[in-house]
Amino acid sequence: MSLKSYEHCCSSLQALATLGKVEGIIPLLHGPQPCAYQCQIGSMTCRPSRLLTAGTLIKKSEVIFGGEENLKKQIINMYRQYQPKIIVIINTCVPQLIGEDIKGVINEVEQEIPELKVTYFDSGFNFPKAMPLGNDVAWVSIVRVLEPMKKVKGSIGLVGRSGQDAGAFTPVDTFLKEAGIPVFGFPAPHLTEMQKISQAEILFPVHVVPFLTCKEISERFNSKVEYIEVPSGIRGTSGFLRGVADILKNQKIHDLVDQEEDNIRPRFQAIKRRFAEDPVKVLIVYGPASEFSLSKILADFGAEVIMVPSMRNKFAQMEKELQKKRYGLTIVEEDFDLLEDLNEMYKPDVIFCEVQGRVEIIPKLMPVFCNMMYLTAYGYDFALDIGENFHNAMKRGVLANWKDMVKRYGGELHA
Amino acid sequence: MLKSNQAGERTHDLTGLRELKMKEIHKPSSFEGALWITLGIKDARVIFHAPPGCFINQAQGLLMYEYCLDFYTTSLSYANVMQGAEDRLEEVLRKTIEKRPNLVIIVTSPSVEITGDDVEGVLDKVGYKNCVIIHPPIGGTLNEGKEKALITLTSLMDPTVEKVGKTVNLIGPSLGTFNWRADVFELKRMLSNIGINVNAVLTAGSLTKDIINAPCASLNLCIYPYDWGIDTAKLMEKKFNIPYLANHVPIGFRESAAWLEEIADFFKVDARNYLKEEIISGYELIQAMMVLPITFESSVALSLDNHDTYAVGMSHYFKKELGMEISLVAVGSETAANKVKEVCENVMVSPTIDEKKEQFLEKSPMMIMGNFYDVKIAKELGFTNTLFADLPTMGYQSTEASPYMGFMGAKNLIQHTVNQIYMNIFFETKGGIEETISVGEVSWDLDAQKAFVKVADMIPHFIKAIAMRKLQKKAEELAIQKKSKITLDIVRTVTDQYTPTRFKSKFLSALKENDGVKGDQALPSEVKFTMTWDAKAKAMMNKVPKEVRAMAISGTEEFAQEKGYKRVTVKVVNEFKKESGMG
Repeated sequence: MSLKSYEHCCSSLQALATLGKVEGIIPLLHGPQPCAYQCQIGSMTCRPSRLLTAGTLIKKSEVIFGGEENLKKQIINMYRQYQPKIIVIINTCVPQLIGEDIKGVINEVEQEIPELKVTYFDSGFNFPKAMPLGNDVAWVSIVRVLEPMKKVKGSIGLVGRSGQDAGAFTPVDTFLKEAGIPVFGFPAPHLTEMQKISQAEILFPVHVVPFLTCKEISERFNSKVEYIEVPSGIRGTSGFLRGVADILKNQKIHDLVDQEEDNIRPRFQAIKRRFAEDPVKVLIVYGPASEFSLSKILADFGAEVIMVPSMRNKFAQMEKELQKKRYGLTIVEEDFDLLEDLNEMYKPDVIFCEVQGRVEIIPKLMPVFCNMMYLTAYGYDFALDIGENFHNAMKRGVLANWKDMVKRYGGELHA
Repeated sequence: MLKSNQAGERTHDLTGLRELKMKEIHKPSSFEGALWITLGIKDARVIFHAPPGCFINQAQGLLMYEYCLDFYTTSLSYANVMQGAEDRLEEVLRKTIEKRPNLVIIVTSPSVEITGDDVEGVLDKVGYKNCVIIHPPIGGTLNEGKEKALITLTSLMDPTVEKVGKTVNLIGPSLGTFNWRADVFELKRMLSNIGINVNAVLTAGSLTKDIINAPCASLNLCIYPYDWGIDTAKLMEKKFNIPYLANHVPIGFRESAAWLEEIADFFKVDARNYLKEEIISGYELIQAMMVLPITFESSVALSLDNHDTYAVGMSHYFKKELGMEISLVAVGSETAANKVKEVCENVMVSPTIDEKKEQFLEKSPMMIMGNFYDVKIAKELGFTNTLFADLPTMGYQSTEASPYMGFMGAKNLIQHTVNQIYMNIFFETKGGIEETISVGEVSWDLDAQKAFVKVADMIPHFIKAIAMRKLQKKAEELAIQKKSKITLDIVRTVTDQYTPTRFKSKFLSALKENDGVKGDQALPSEVKFTMTWDAKAKAMMNKVPKEVRAMAISGTEEFAQEKGYKRVTVKVVNEFKKESGMG
């Protein structure tokens, strides 16, 4: 067991941030004050607007006598204030422990306000080893209350990971749309758009996270699910698009991919040459599942990649196998105490991790990037941008300058 | 009125020696130099032998950003100048002496330098000893004026005073120098931490006795070596046997340490413990989450052509210790330019304001440091991250609390830089506390969608995801307003109007490619009026520089809509200008 959690954030926060990016949905954090405060602060950086977090702020007396009444009041308050289409209760650790009757509250509210849909899911300590599941279960709770719509013939659905993916499928779906395929994205910035996922005949997850979401959509709306791979990196993007093309038997997508590959080939080759001249070993540790996309981007260019994954669901297993086979990736599944230990063991040149991991690495003045800054890492352009700037972005000269300064003035202890 | 196509044209005067520039931001002269040096001596009384206009301009100019100070003038009229103004000077001098100042300094003005008043004769006649006269050279630079003034003041220095061990003079700080008070405070703090005392600051904030006793010091330190002070230091070495150091600019952690180490070596004191403390403190700071991840993806323009020492010190610090890209540096001399070229390819010597503006637009730095004009232009062009660091300023107040030099200066620059860049972009890209997240489903033209992907790649990773959401939402809003899909035009408009800080020229390149138009052949942003405009209001837009015209129009329209105006009139444009600080 690690001495600390290296994941992106608590699943409650992950869910809050995710739901907070869709118009028409309002998340309600059912939990105590510290949970509300930390989730509010944590989600502030990534929520586009509506920055206030509604919460129930469970007190000691409610722990003893039950917090259902306050929960109900808060749902009604929120409805009166904002008239959302859906209120999602994020049921955090404490109300789960005291056995709150969330379903009972929802039933009561729905009787009083029939036009309002209220849904919920359990978060917090339910996902201690795969916090991005907070996104997945949040989406599941939404899918549960969506109304079915008529299927669109030949259409597909792209199913993403977190709220950041809402409206971020552009690097992939432009090819599909150009090939004449009706595409529905899930999530989307507006609930009415998300609703349309029920019209898709085939679902193509674009990340490893939404396994439960795909399952729920598939079961509720009778859609087929085809996991191909995460469309990240050059080969990953081509692989995904060609996979869709094969399943749909659509030659136009192949042609468009051929064309794009021809366009980007000189840049891709130049990046590969740069990585060959100056080899890089990268250790990528848990992020909001970004490790699965970043690993592909860098491995494509010839970097040696060691990945510590946050996800263990079926899609993640498929992706890991694919990446091992295609790139010869090293995947670390075993527990470790500290990131420092992994650093010692693998001796990478650069590390991707979250903030709480960074504090172990940056004192060594070695390049370290934060996973949370590399979201929506889909498509060719994102990969090329990373590749073309990677060596410069490590700023090894600056870090060496500091290392020299610290050694010269700070003494051996800090060198 | 000058037309913008004259920008950057340079010719020479009739002698062929001096470059004549259009739209020049004029620099302070040797007269400012002499006055700023002399007015820095707190118990001296300065008489500016000048017409009243010269006196008022100098006094008000300085009082706009320096603390309270006072000086006198002979208030020369045309008749005085024609008939000789010695009697007026005598009268003012006698009245001044009656106030028993420790020192009287007479600084002559350009008019007096032309008429050739016998100032020395007046002083002889009055017979007052504690007085010096300074004749700043007409056509001389600020630094030449300062050097001449301080060299003149060396005549007051007592060669017989006893040397005091472990003391230094700081040569360079003068009133009017940007941030001198804070820099001096910090350098004194650093020196005192290794047991070195400052004997005299030459001259800002000093007393007459400090000038007289300046030869007590064992070492002179030129703290603005790329600006001035070295000639005075050389003279003092010759006259008073005081060596000097001018090798390091104490800006940034490394150079501050090197500066102090050299001084410690000179005095044979052990600075190791103190330097360790400071460097480790800096090392701890740069480990903070919001330092290197921000600076590593940021760029800065340093427009410091009145402060070459800052230009050299900051450019090296930002590049080597914070990993920032130095987009451009404006300096005042070739010497400084050569040093800055070690870390920046784009160095300009005394550029015109239009040349700077052109470079700001082309390079699109994430932060601009400079003087009042630089900051004003930056704001007009849509840059949000700016920091004052040079003259001229207008009403800018500085205290000891915010140095740019020394170890605290290094930290202060980090604090200002990352807060400016991150917080401004953060606020800019955030929607409202209770604002709608999305206006609904809007379809995209494929071209627009492709361009949007390219735009995304130009946004730094630390802000990319939320910035894109903001642009997307604005595009949706505009499309709904226009009852259309999201088109390339709409993408162009929103990237122009709502970009997180000023990336517009970079964005424009992506949008041009998608337009099928390459590089320079492309026209500037299209100008579109979506509301009804009065002809006069429209005409006002023609006066806006073409690079920012589209932004001005869309900004005005958004303002008009927010205020509930149905059409855009001259009144609305003026209201918008006023509200956005341009009126």
